[in-house]
Amino acid sequence: MERNFIQENAAQAGPAIHDQASIWKRFKKQRTLQVFVLLGIVYLLIFSYTPMFGILMAFKQYTIVTGIRGIFTSPWAGLQNFREFFTDYRFGQIVRNTLALSILKVVFTFPLPILFAIMLNELRNMVFKRFVQTVSYLPHFISWVVVVGLSYSFFSSEVGIVNRLLMGIGIIGKPLTILTDPNSFWGFAVGSAAWKEMGWWAIIFLAAIAGINPSLYEAAQIDGAGRLARIRHITLPGIKGTVVVVLILTVGSILGGGLVGSNFEQSLLLGNDINNPTSEIVQTYAFKVGLSQGRFSFAAAIDLIQSIISVTLVFLSNSIAKRVSGSSLF
Amino acid sequence: MLSRRNAEDWMVDSIIHVLLILVIITTAYPFYYVFMMSFNAGTDSTIGGLYLWPRVLTLDNYAKFFSDANWFKALEVTVARTIIGAFLGVVFTLMMAYGLSAKDLVFRRLYFTLVIIAMYFSGGLIPYYVVLRSLHLLNTFSVYVIPTMLNTFFLLIAISFFRDLPAELRESAHIDGAGEVTIFSRIMIPVSKPLIATMGLFIGVGQWNSWVDSAYFVQNNDLRTLTYRMIEIINSSKVPANSVAYAAGASTVTGYSLELTALVVSVAPILCVYPFLQKYFVHGIMLGSVKE
Repeated sequence: MERNFIQENAAQAGPAIHDQASIWKRFKKQRTLQVFVLLGIVYLLIFSYTPMFGILMAFKQYTIVTGIRGIFTSPWAGLQNFREFFTDYRFGQIVRNTLALSILKVVFTFPLPILFAIMLNELRNMVFKRFVQTVSYLPHFISWVVVVGLSYSFFSSEVGIVNRLLMGIGIIGKPLTILTDPNSFWGFAVGSAAWKEMGWWAIIFLAAIAGINPSLYEAAQIDGAGRLARIRHITLPGIKGTVVVVLILTVGSILGGGLVGSNFEQSLLLGNDINNPTSEIVQTYAFKVGLSQGRFSFAAAIDLIQSIISVTLVFLSNSIAKRVSGSSLF
Repeated sequence: MLSRRNAEDWMVDSIIHVLLILVIITTAYPFYYVFMMSFNAGTDSTIGGLYLWPRVLTLDNYAKFFSDANWFKALEVTVARTIIGAFLGVVFTLMMAYGLSAKDLVFRRLYFTLVIIAMYFSGGLIPYYVVLRSLHLLNTFSVYVIPTMLNTFFLLIAISFFRDLPAELRESAHIDGAGEVTIFSRIMIPVSKPLIATMGLFIGVGQWNSWVDSAYFVQNNDLRTLTYRMIEIINSSKVPANSVAYAAGASTVTGYSLELTALVVSVAPILCVYPFLQKYFVHGIMLGSVKE
């Protein structure tokens, strides 16, 4: 979409524009529109571009009392902040958690919306289909805080209904400590992310399935293909393009949590002192050392490393998407 | 299609139905459970064994919730940021979109480049915090609504929406002597009602759910939002003693039952607007994800 805008623009930048006086005349003529746009541009300069310059902080000995100007005036620190992070005793653990959560989420939650969409597509009863869909989108609109609240109601060892039920019927002797066990954090994070976003992401695959020519199914049926054969030989190949594009775009946002949303919010909210060895990720660590301990430059350096990896992944996956399927983000 | 069903059809259908019913249960039951428990006396809930309906039906939890000054204040702040934030977000984003949709706009290419760079790059949280601090936005209500005024996702959608409107709409108004402000407010806003509804609902839901800003950009107790209070109470109910008795008095309310009530209060408005959202978002997500 964006690319089109720019191309249209380039096409319009015709010869007339070279005339300085006419640019100014046109600008004055459309001044109201220009004010509309410039308000937005000023806004972007303040809230998007100034923080981008703030990245300098990572290479400085910045103190918060110096304000914005301090970003430029504080003394240089070279790569000291980066060195400090790489030699941090928790570095290995934090990087491992960040990568593990991201990769596990893609591996386990990417196929779910596809499977779910295929199952929905096989339903003949439209009322039931719409009902399942409506219910499945719902968690997408609920904040992570509510999801964590629900998690406590269900899985905490004191009040959790799951523990009480399992103990009540004698399956377990003492409560499971799912929420406070370092060994179960990854599984729980992946599971709750899948619960929250599966229905939402199925929309895109349902739309892709809807684009498949129905006569293919009829022809296959006449040739004697059963339900499963039709799913395998028509539905799956029919949505292959969409699956590839969505997968590649997911890889681009993998550090943020990919399709199924926020690693950051999950780790911050579901994390606690006990599961910290598996729940601390780069973003939460930067957040904590930055805002709670006031080590702004150090936190900015950690943030920067994460951003560089993310942006690289976005560009890489974008160019792969362009090559593989001809469609891309930008 | 042929409608003869064989054994395979029957089996596939059964498996799919069973799995989908499981999906419905795992999605809907948590919400139902919390709703049901919020109507049960807190002290009774600690005994356990409640799965389907309340045992000691009571409105005490809600009475306690709405009479607690902290919760009530938090609800007020949350409602205010949702309404004001959605309003400002819609108006500001539409204004910029309307300007950018003009095909002969001078410097259009530069503006678009700036918008798109801002969409994909950010300075990260720490420099952002420094900017908010320098603008004296920390610890004010404005921090909820001002830094979120421009929604770049809806900006692009609104631009293509305005582009698709017939050019005659603007031209005839121009000939009648209307200025751009008049055209925008009297013609463009009324014709973009469906777009405004979608934007308003999405931005509103985002505002309603947002908590990071309340937790880290605000220290003033009167400015805390509902979700922030919820984090507080979830954290405090991790301490077992707290989940048993909330107050020493005759109240049947516990910290845990109050938490459940807060969960219901914070989900209920979303459940109410959800049916209206639904018809729009399928289109929205398609536009937002894969651009073909």
